[in-house]
Amino acid sequence: MRCRVLARALARVLTPLLILAAFATGCGNTARSVPISPLPTGQDQTDFGLGPGVKPLSFGPGDKSAPAWSPDDERVAFVVDGYVVDKPLDAQDLRRWTTKDFGAERAEWRSEDSLTIFAREPSSEEAPGTVYRTLPKDTPFAVKQIAADVLTISAGPGDEGLVVALETNQYESGLARIGADGRMDQVYTPLVGGRVTGLSISPDGRRIAIAARGAATFALHVLDLTSGSLRTIARLNPGMEIHGGPEWTDQGIYYIAGEEDTGDRSVVPHHLYRVPPSSTTPEPAPGVGEDFVASSLRASPDGKQLAIVGRRNPTSSTNLYILDLATDNLKAVTANEDMEIKIGSDDLAWSNSGDRVAIVARGVISGPRVLSAPADTLLTDFYNLYEVPVTASRKSAS
Amino acid sequence: MKGVILWLSGAALAFLLTSGAFLLLANASGGPSEKSLRPDSPSAESGPALDLQLGRDYLSSLKQRPDQKLSIGVHNAGSQKLSDINVSVKVYSENTALSDVRYYRSSIKDLAAGETVTADFTLDLSFAGQNTDQGAEPARAIIEVRAATPSGVSSVRTAILPA
Repeated sequence: MRCRVLARALARVLTPLLILAAFATGCGNTARSVPISPLPTGQDQTDFGLGPGVKPLSFGPGDKSAPAWSPDDERVAFVVDGYVVDKPLDAQDLRRWTTKDFGAERAEWRSEDSLTIFAREPSSEEAPGTVYRTLPKDTPFAVKQIAADVLTISAGPGDEGLVVALETNQYESGLARIGADGRMDQVYTPLVGGRVTGLSISPDGRRIAIAARGAATFALHVLDLTSGSLRTIARLNPGMEIHGGPEWTDQGIYYIAGEEDTGDRSVVPHHLYRVPPSSTTPEPAPGVGEDFVASSLRASPDGKQLAIVGRRNPTSSTNLYILDLATDNLKAVTANEDMEIKIGSDDLAWSNSGDRVAIVARGVISGPRVLSAPADTLLTDFYNLYEVPVTASRKSAS
Repeated sequence: MKGVILWLSGAALAFLLTSGAFLLLANASGGPSEKSLRPDSPSAESGPALDLQLGRDYLSSLKQRPDQKLSIGVHNAGSQKLSDINVSVKVYSENTALSDVRYYRSSIKDLAAGETVTADFTLDLSFAGQNTDQGAEPARAIIEVRAATPSGVSSVRTAILPA
């Protein structure tokens, strides 16, 4: 009896004490506030030398060029020192597709896991090249030749396959289509006078604009892919050249032209021109201003905007500009002061979603630089890829 | 009265034992430590104790040719003597298609706190500016210098020489 009373009394005292003790000790493993060290210096940067919002897509040494977005915009392929790699946007997990001595100039995605590659023998800029397609990755660096004697390539009608310009003889070029399966399935009958230097398919996929260097002059032609009719829409004066390829948009065919580069490495300013729809007369492109120096251009996937690498005037910095073709509004989307942006015609690429452009740039150095990091982590000291958002700039421009 | 004191003592003892048991359980529950959440430092350097000095003026005199003399100052900026410091120099081209990489090594037996010792190298930089594509501009040369001790003190410097 006495023991029962003792036990009851103990229970009465101990129960609230146990509850109190549980609260006091925190009921086991509660989440503790653990500080995470801030990002190391350099990792939290928002300006990598090209203005806010621009993000690097690659790091380390290597002369990178010709970016190409995968169909789902999750990966980017590019050429490094003549070989082809691709990588996820946010990781440095490079996947190499070719041998290192491949001589690649550009790569186009055929699917999420295969590429078409245009390569040319190194040191032979004037010689025709070869088009290859990659093989499944269980055969490392294996490619299959699709077409030889290729002068240049372009996306095919409806973004399926490719159109290639072929060297037929010294004075003429031919055109052919390579289907999505990687086989040449159509040869267009009319030959183009001269050597084709650039191609651009029309938004409706039925015609193609062709830039060609003739014996004495450059000309811009249009080939109707259905009827096979070929007509010349512009012929440049002797001593003038078309730089890169034309870009066919909703507002006409745009191209960059200027005095022919004589190879003395002097800066020859080139300007942007347009042949409006249903016209055969080129005109200075509206919206950019008469002092604008254009270096390379690429139409957006919807054909409503042009990405242009150029300068407001011959003395200003090179930047990436977006020209809204409906409003003729030109907006700089980079703020470059000391970077060297590549101006090759393949060195800028729209994402398939149309909200980003990839460009290639590096910092200018005049003397030796010493940095406290391994070379493969460095960014601006080598040509690297950058992703430039363009949606925000369109909103602010409007 | 004696019984009340006994009960109170028993209750206090039970409280202490229970609290102790809960505290033991809480600490033994295996939550991640603060240390494990810290991100790794991106730098290969372990601290400020070892410093590598590559004079820009000196680097400016280097040519992309054989037999180029490079002197690297290895400085102990810490408060303790460092021993068996390995200094390695890796010379290669910015052109990643070229597989030609040259390695050079030197060692420093002892380096007192605050002391600077010069490690001299004769480098072949003749290949570093080559490019496989004749149309492309000459490549930049890269000189990557690392110093490390067996105890884990290390430092890295990368010099980039314009073509």
